[in-house]
This record gives sequence, C-alpha cells and structure tokens, in this order.
Amino acid sequence: MSRFPRAVALAFLAGSALYLVQATRLPLGSVEQPGAGLFPILVGAFLLAVSAAHLLQDLRRSSGTQPLPPAGTGRRVMGVVAALGAFCLLLPWLGYAVAALGLLLAILRLFGLARWEMSAAVALVATVASYYLFAVVLGVPLPAGVWSR
Amino acid sequence: MGPIEGLLYGFSVALTPTNLLACFIGVLIGTIVGVLPGIGPIGAMALLLPSTFALSPATALIMLAGIYYGSMYGGSTTSILVNVPGEVASVITAIDGYQMARRGRAGAALAVSAVGSFVAGTLGVLGLILFATLLAEVALRFGPPEFFALTVFGLAVLSRLSGGPLVKSLLMVGLGLALGSVGMEPISGVSRFTFGSIQLSQGIELVPVAMGLFGIAEILTLAESRGGLPRAMAVRLRELLPTREEWRRSAGPIGRGSVLGFLVGLIPGPAAVLSTFLSYSVERRLSKRPQEFGQGAIEGVAGPEAANNGASVGAFVPLLALGIPFAPATAVLLGALVIHGIQPGPLLMTERPEVFWGIAASMYIGNAILLILNLPLIGLFVSVLRLPQHLLLSLVVLLCLVGTYSVNNSLLDLWVLVGMGFLGYLFRKLGFEPAVVVLALVLGPMMEKTFRQTLFMARGDWGAILLRPLTLALLLAGALIFVLPGLHRALRRALARRAPAPPV
Repeated sequence: MSRFPRAVALAFLAGSALYLVQATRLPLGSVEQPGAGLFPILVGAFLLAVSAAHLLQDLRRSSGTQPLPPAGTGRRVMGVVAALGAFCLLLPWLGYAVAALGLLLAILRLFGLARWEMSAAVALVATVASYYLFAVVLGVPLPAGVWSR
Repeated sequence: MGPIEGLLYGFSVALTPTNLLACFIGVLIGTIVGVLPGIGPIGAMALLLPSTFALSPATALIMLAGIYYGSMYGGSTTSILVNVPGEVASVITAIDGYQMARRGRAGAALAVSAVGSFVAGTLGVLGLILFATLLAEVALRFGPPEFFALTVFGLAVLSRLSGGPLVKSLLMVGLGLALGSVGMEPISGVSRFTFGSIQLSQGIELVPVAMGLFGIAEILTLAESRGGLPRAMAVRLRELLPTREEWRRSAGPIGRGSVLGFLVGLIPGPAAVLSTFLSYSVERRLSKRPQEFGQGAIEGVAGPEAANNGASVGAFVPLLALGIPFAPATAVLLGALVIHGIQPGPLLMTERPEVFWGIAASMYIGNAILLILNLPLIGLFVSVLRLPQHLLLSLVVLLCLVGTYSVNNSLLDLWVLVGMGFLGYLFRKLGFEPAVVVLALVLGPMMEKTFRQTLFMARGDWGAILLRPLTLALLLAGALIFVLPGLHRALRRALARRAPAPPV
C-alpha cells in the first residue's frame, strides 16, 4: 500500500512539471507590465518545489505502512466512480431521465440494497421526483437525449 | 450609516416575507446537514448556490449564511446523542456531551449547547457590526499591495493551521492556485491551460470543485465504510431543562467561548474547529474540577458549542469588510456574492447596504429560529438519522449532479465534479485537506490581479511598495508563520497533552 502514496506524489510532480511547461509558453511581459504568464510561472515553480519536497518526504518514509482498507471496499468506491463517469458520458445521448435512472440503480445496488425490485422502485421515484423538481419547478434545461429528435 | 440605524434598516430588509422564508429555509437546511454526519455546511452551501440565482443577492446570502451558522447548532445534536460528530466543529462536544447523555443528562447538554450557540451567535453579530464597520473604513485606504499581502497572509496562515503536514497543505494551496489560473485571463484576454477548449476558457468554477470535494467525496468515503447511520437515543421534552447548578456552571464557559470563538473567527483558517479545541482547553484549565472533563463536564459542552458559533460569525468580518474569505465556508459565500454581480470589498457596506445589514439582522432572526428548532423540535431532527442511508446518498448524488449542471448547463462542470469527487476521496485517505483547495481557488485570481497591479504600481521601485507599513507587516507575519514552525509544534504538543483524544 505504501506504493499508493508514492504514486500520488509522483503524479503531483508530473502534473506540476506539465503545468510549469505550459505556463512558460504564455506571454511573460515585463516587470512593469506583467503578462498573463508571470503568475502561472510562479505558481508552477511553487508547485514543482513543493511536489519535490513531498516526494522526498515520502521516499524517506518509504518503510511506513499505510493501513489497507478492508477488501472489497475499493471495488465499491470504484464502482460509484465508474457509475458517475458513465452518467456524464451518456447524459447527452440518453437524456437526464434514463441516465439518472441507470445511475441510481447502480448506486443503490452498490450500496447494498439487496432486492432488485426495491432498488428499481426507489430509483424510479427519485428520478421522477428530481426531474419534476428541477426541470418543471426550477426550470433547469436538462438534456433530453436522442429521444427528443 | 451608524450601527443602530444600520441594524434597523437591516431588520427592514430581513423581515420581508421573502427574506424571512429564506432565513428559515437556510437555518433549517443548516440544522439538517449539521445533524447528518458526512454532509457538511460547505457541501450544502455549494449545493444550494445554483438555486439562489433567481433570488435577489440579499435573499441568497441570507439563506446561504443561515446554512453555515445553522449547521453549528445541528452538529452538536449528533455529537451528544450518538457520539458521532455531525460536523468537524462538534468533535470536541462529543467528548463530554456523550458522557452526559450516558448519564441521562442528554437533554441538559442539548439545551446548554443550543442556548450557548444562541448567546454566541447574537453577541457575535454585535462584534460583526463593530469590527466590520471599523475594518471596512480602514480598508478603504488599502491599495493593491495591501490586498495582495492579505491574500498571501491568508493562505500562509491557512496552510499552517489546517492540520496535517505543512508540505501537504502547501500542495493543496498550489493545486487551488493552479486551478484558479485556468481559463481566459481577465487583463489581456489570453486563454491559459485551455488546450483549445472553449468551455475551459470560462475557467474552473467554484461550485463543481466544492461540491466534488465535499459532496461526491463524502459519498465515496461512505461507500467505503458501508455502516448505516447511527441510532440516536430518544430525548423527552421535559428532560431538556438543565438544573440551576448546570446553568450556573455553563454561564462562564458560554461567555468566554463566545468572545474567544469570535476572535478566532477573524483569523484565517478553519476557525470554527480551532475555536472549539481552544475553548475546551481554556475551560479545563480554569475549572475547579478538571478531573470531570472527559466524564461529562457541562463546561466542556457549553464552551466549545458557544465558541464554534462565535467563530462562524467572526468569519464573516473579513468577508464582508475586506471582500476576502479566510475560511472555506466564507469562500463559498464570496462565490455567491460574485455570481450575483456584487463587487466584494470595503465598499460593500456603502454600495450594497441591504446585503451587509440584511445579513447582520437576519442572523438575529436566524438564531432565534434555531433556538426553537433545536430545543422543542429536537426529536424531529434526530429522526432524520433514521432515513435509510442508501436513499439519502442517492438523493445527495442527484442533487450534486443536477445542481452543478444547472449553473452553466455545462457537461464539463459535471466532469470537474466527478474528477474532484474522486480526488477529494483520495486526498482524505492520504491526509490532505481539501478545504484548502477551495480557498486557494477563490483567492488565486484575487491574488494574481492585485500582484500584477502592485508590479504595475511599483514600476521597478520595490522599496516604495514594500515599505507600506501594513503590506510589510502582513508579509512579515506570513513569513513568520513559516519561520517559527517549531513554536507552533511545541504549542500543539502542549495542547495535545491537555486535551484527551475523544473516547471511541
């Protein structure tokens, strides 16, 4: 598990470097007339320095052990993340009603609502209620998906 | 406008039916999210931010502010009845509050914390009016260098006080600043880090970031734990009355907690949380019976509960007088001001008096409503804990998604929400403080603007800028925070020795 914080530290370092490289491509301006690039370059340099310090700390503490989460919980978390990602991806095509129904079904199942009929009923009621609240009462233009064409 | 005249005007704003309703809804939601562990005031405020677009700025701010201080009331309920803090600011309350509940004095603990919160909240408004009007007057003479120094100072103090290793908080500061620099840059119109995306050129919005880090991330954390919500013990109404002895012992801690909390609230950082720790250790030191602390000492409930309410009001001072949020929750409120087209800053009080005085007066009304909500109606809120967890979670997920989408009707915001949710979950596991990201994201553009204005003003003459007394003092103070980490560590160690860890 100690590899996991290491990976995050490396990701921070890589991200900071990428940010800094991108920042140097912006117009820097002069000291009296600073351009759009000056502040991002300073932020990037700061991030890179702190990321490096963070990685060093982690390397020095390499023997430290991070408590492992109980088996199976990581899967549930990743399941919820995947369901949310799928919702964002499919929302423009499926429309709010269908996408939300699918998302709720997935989340209810992941959170251990054992019976399919029960999950389906809860998901259906929540979808209809939220659609009514947002689209009808509050007038949010929710995506309708391919069905409206 | 003088304070009395201003407050009267404020009541004329806050007592209109719309604003009364907004205040009621705000404190009601605040109490509920306070009671529910896992959903905090920042997430709830971000969640409701989009739905305030149609409201007037004063109404929107009254409602959002109500959520913030309302959650300070609700948090203590869960701490006392189930030993699970509904809010981080109520962690300390759980120590003695739960012990009182086990000895059958739950009602007294609840009553004392509600009354303590009320006293601190209403006294705090007086402090808010006094400090904010004075500070705004001074701040009218501030130039860009002073505001730049304030943002640096704020982030420096925050990264020191937010807990956890300094390197980790600084990483969060950097991440927030970097996120804040994405998009079309306002001075020369250059697109930064957009990779050709038109949606990205609008910048990364506060709402998806805050809702992701505080809403979705909470859900992912709960997905991991899987436990249901805890069962609360029942409290009958007649048990709510503390004895005369209990009142007598609570009066001092409530008074001290109110003042202490308010003053801590003025300092950048997670003021509400810090103030409870501070108040607890002060009360313990002053007490004639320090051995009772941890066993159900009523002082350990009264002091911290007053302190966190005082702090939540104190945090409004820098926001309303300077336009600079020093706490994550007021950062969301600043976001609300900006969305409603209000220029935050020292001129707010004179240019938009209805906002400043309306909020101040509404806090009196809100605190009075909260006292009623949290004493006779306490059972109602405890029953919120009986809601099935999966139902609650699916509702929160839907609210986060639709709430974020409704701000700009943007799919990109949804991706930011989900991405930030996952990041927030990881950060929490690895000991990073996501609240710092939110504050840095809001302060970043402000920092850059004032930094560039300062450079422009200086025209190479650094001495003239650096020798402006307040700028120098703030920058030095910010630097000092890093130079003297040893002192802080020693202080923390001393505090840790005094305050025992909450019993699990």
